[in-house]
Amino acid sequence: MNIRPARVEDLAGMQACNLQNLPENYTMKYYMYHALTWPQLSFVAEDNKGRIVGYILAKMEEDTESEEEAHGHVTSISVLRSYRRLGLAKRLMVQSQEAMATVFRASYVSLHVRKSNRAALALYRDTLGFTVKDIEKKYYADGEDAYAMRLSLKDLAR
Amino acid sequence: MPPATALSKRALPSKEATLFKELLNLYETRQLKKGSKTADQILKKFPEHGETLCMKGLIQTHLGKREEGLELVKKGIRLDLTSHICWHVFGLIQKGEKNYEEALKSYTQALRFDKENLNILRDAAHLQTQLRIYDGLVETRHTLLRLRPALRQNWIGLAIAYHLNGNIAEALKVVEQYEAILKNVPDYDVEHSEVLLYHIRLLEDLGQINEALTLLDVNAKSRAILDRIAIMEFRARLMSKLHLDDAEHTWQALIEQNPDCHDYYKGFLLNRGIDLDAVTDETRSQALQCLRDFSAQMPKAGAPLRLALNIAQGEQFKELVEPYLLAGLEKGVPSLFADVKALYRDEHKRRIIEDIVESYREKCAAVTPVPADPISVDPTAYLWTLYFLAQHHSSLSRHTRSLELIDIAVTHTPTLPELYMFKGRVLKRCGDPYGAARCMDEARVLDLQDRFLNTKCAKYRLRAGYIDQAVEILGLFTKKDASSPSADLEDMQSLLYLTEDADGQLRRGNLGLALKRYTAVQKVFDELEDDQFDFHGYSLRKFTLNVYLDLITWEDQLRSHPVYIHAAISVSQIYVRLHDDPSLGTSSVTAGLTDAEKKAKKKAKKAAQKVQEDSKKGATATSANEDKGLEPGPAKDDDLDGTKLLQAQDGLEKAAKMLAPLSTLAKDNVDAWIATYDVAVRRKKYLQAVKALNSAKALSPEHPELHVRLAHFQKTMSSAPQPPPEPVGSVVSNALARLLPVELSLELFNAQYLQRHSIDAASILAAAKVSRILPVPREEIESTVFGILNPDVRPDIKTASQAVAFLQEIRSPRTDEFKVACDARFELSTIFKSPSEIAALPWKAAEVDVAADTQGKTEMLG
Repeated sequence: MNIRPARVEDLAGMQACNLQNLPENYTMKYYMYHALTWPQLSFVAEDNKGRIVGYILAKMEEDTESEEEAHGHVTSISVLRSYRRLGLAKRLMVQSQEAMATVFRASYVSLHVRKSNRAALALYRDTLGFTVKDIEKKYYADGEDAYAMRLSLKDLAR
Repeated sequence: MPPATALSKRALPSKEATLFKELLNLYETRQLKKGSKTADQILKKFPEHGETLCMKGLIQTHLGKREEGLELVKKGIRLDLTSHICWHVFGLIQKGEKNYEEALKSYTQALRFDKENLNILRDAAHLQTQLRIYDGLVETRHTLLRLRPALRQNWIGLAIAYHLNGNIAEALKVVEQYEAILKNVPDYDVEHSEVLLYHIRLLEDLGQINEALTLLDVNAKSRAILDRIAIMEFRARLMSKLHLDDAEHTWQALIEQNPDCHDYYKGFLLNRGIDLDAVTDETRSQALQCLRDFSAQMPKAGAPLRLALNIAQGEQFKELVEPYLLAGLEKGVPSLFADVKALYRDEHKRRIIEDIVESYREKCAAVTPVPADPISVDPTAYLWTLYFLAQHHSSLSRHTRSLELIDIAVTHTPTLPELYMFKGRVLKRCGDPYGAARCMDEARVLDLQDRFLNTKCAKYRLRAGYIDQAVEILGLFTKKDASSPSADLEDMQSLLYLTEDADGQLRRGNLGLALKRYTAVQKVFDELEDDQFDFHGYSLRKFTLNVYLDLITWEDQLRSHPVYIHAAISVSQIYVRLHDDPSLGTSSVTAGLTDAEKKAKKKAKKAAQKVQEDSKKGATATSANEDKGLEPGPAKDDDLDGTKLLQAQDGLEKAAKMLAPLSTLAKDNVDAWIATYDVAVRRKKYLQAVKALNSAKALSPEHPELHVRLAHFQKTMSSAPQPPPEPVGSVVSNALARLLPVELSLELFNAQYLQRHSIDAASILAAAKVSRILPVPREEIESTVFGILNPDVRPDIKTASQAVAFLQEIRSPRTDEFKVACDARFELSTIFKSPSEIAALPWKAAEVDVAADTQGKTEMLG
């Protein structure tokens, strides 16, 4: 699979991929907002027909206090079921983290995961090295709690 | 000069003048209630004060009293036609309604009376961009820069305006001037970094490659440009263009940074004179050596291994593909087949792959029964091998073999969803959508937490016509507070759902709901087009110029998306059918529904209405005082089942509007031209009809659907009471003579076509359709259609079902005979069976399976 920075023309494919995989969905304007604010941070995986089979949609956290360190946030990441076991999620994540660290000098990256989503939790913790920082009560619209997870990017800073 | 009377009417005594200033302030700070009261104070004494009336109208609109507000604004303008405030207010409201053209007219009026108003100029620039009026945009941006040269974004705004207007050289000049006057750029300034990258892009576009590279290197070194990947990508590309030795290192660095990006390998090799997409016998071994070196250096990267398979041949291909396949099978990579299938274009490669995997299967099958065997193969590798081969054989239309393999795999491991999913796919290909839906459901219940399986299952249900049941399971993942699963999916712009549901409604003959869903697709694309508006200002403030320019390009191509094209063509086909047979408009609303379904529909309709009423009540209860903005809220859906769309008098006009973008964005699509013809000829737009036929003929002169249209056009023109008025008449008759030889009768024209394509099912069906136009007796038409069943004709399932639909359309008594023959010919199919046989088919997973996994389900919902 081909992994590359996301372009504007990929956004529709990313949205379709997200809708097929995950219960947290967004309208196109939110994807545009990411792409037009932090064009460096989102990546896609495409198959040899050019179909988007995985993506990471990422941003910098905006509501930081002045002393707080700049940090990135993964809004959404997913890979179509039929394209799993290729390590695509990890590859996408690594590319995005690198860009967060070099372009925006992010010191860490954060994300949220549903408490019940054991598969995703395992991916973030065991494969990608995130740690649980906090539990956010009723984070999701349906009332479910979220794990707030973090990964330091200090090693990547240049 | 405005007339004196207007001016004297506008001037207020000092008390009211102060109040008016306050009113403007209150509006700016959105103290709407207070503002409204202040306006009233002025109006008590001066009820004809235009600007106050407009301001009050604006505030009322913000408060949700849109109609009243608009009345006030219009009245205000009439009373003071030369006030920039009045026109500005009107423009704001029109902009809020996304009526950009009218808004720009109002802004232009406003600017006539206040040439240097910065807010109005800025808004006008955004409207001009949205409307792609780039000459005007350049002018507006010039004015803004002249008025506020100290503001950084005014410079960039002008450069972008030139760029959009196609004047790259002028854009470059502006950026250079801007950089020359720039002072005190802080360190690590992302915005400045973006401007520099834009500057380099301009130089590259103008062919000033050396200058571009110098600018890049200087600013990369000083760390003024922060985007490391962009630096490397620009650098590699520019250096390659200049044939610099160092280019290779930069490509190498990019590959090391992201070893899975195909473009980087292509760039690396191209720099050595090797085009990966057109490898020659001379470059092949060199390219393979490069890729092999990369693989050795980065063993985890998939790209070099896979790219090598594209170019390797013969023995070498075999050596490379064997470990590639075995690694994938042993690791259990579900996408392995999809990944290598592109290689099947080369029959030799296909056979090599088949041999390798088949012999691996034999090896696995031989050792699997003995678990203690020391050379035993991992049982899951066996499973994935069977899965691979099932896909392999199905792709070559060996469906029975494919199903056998899946059954072995399911016996081996009954819990792998992929197996059932693929079985469903095979059944779908064989013309058994009901069995396919059942298999997808079996896959779904094996992992109820997975939305991917859920979506697939719903899609297959829609394809099999179980529309309500599809929506029901979709609801397991949609938002619980949405009025229905469909509503949530529509809000989230799910093109997949809207299209599949529309197609499903169309198949069951519910034209109203089909129109409604296709129209919802159209609405999504309208939203996507509107979405760009805010970014005309936002991107300049954020200086994300490069991606912004890409956004504009993308927006201009938006409706080339296959989903839009499909919706536009389908809507046209429906309105054409309704035009030809208006009785469909009254009969089809409840067509194809059972009584129980009708009841359920009614109930759902009531529920949906209630939700809408509730939310309306909720809205009015919370806020007489709240700012609702200038955009109207979501319109009330007063056409729940699409009856209004169905009975619209301007159906053909709606269709023509939807098709219009396709003449430029899908000009290589024959179906789009056919649809355009169908609509144009019925609207008596004969020149358009001719253009559509000419375009279709240029693309595919023997296309079956074109054949039908040529006959239709000839018949329409010759049976018209009089030719179209000049000059159209002679253009049309000349064109017709070129499209279709005059000396030939339609009968002969059709007979010759049939002769040329006597073993092609779609062409035979087209000939039958033409003989209906001639017309000939029904028996003759039927016998042409039955030609599809001749042994040397090999119809696919799609054409066969189109033939059934055509026989139904002409009310042929031989329809069932044809269906029975198809049922026998397509062994595994079910679509040609009788309705009662179909109703008896199982289409969902057995209840036992569902019960076995309720635990997972509770967990997901809880």
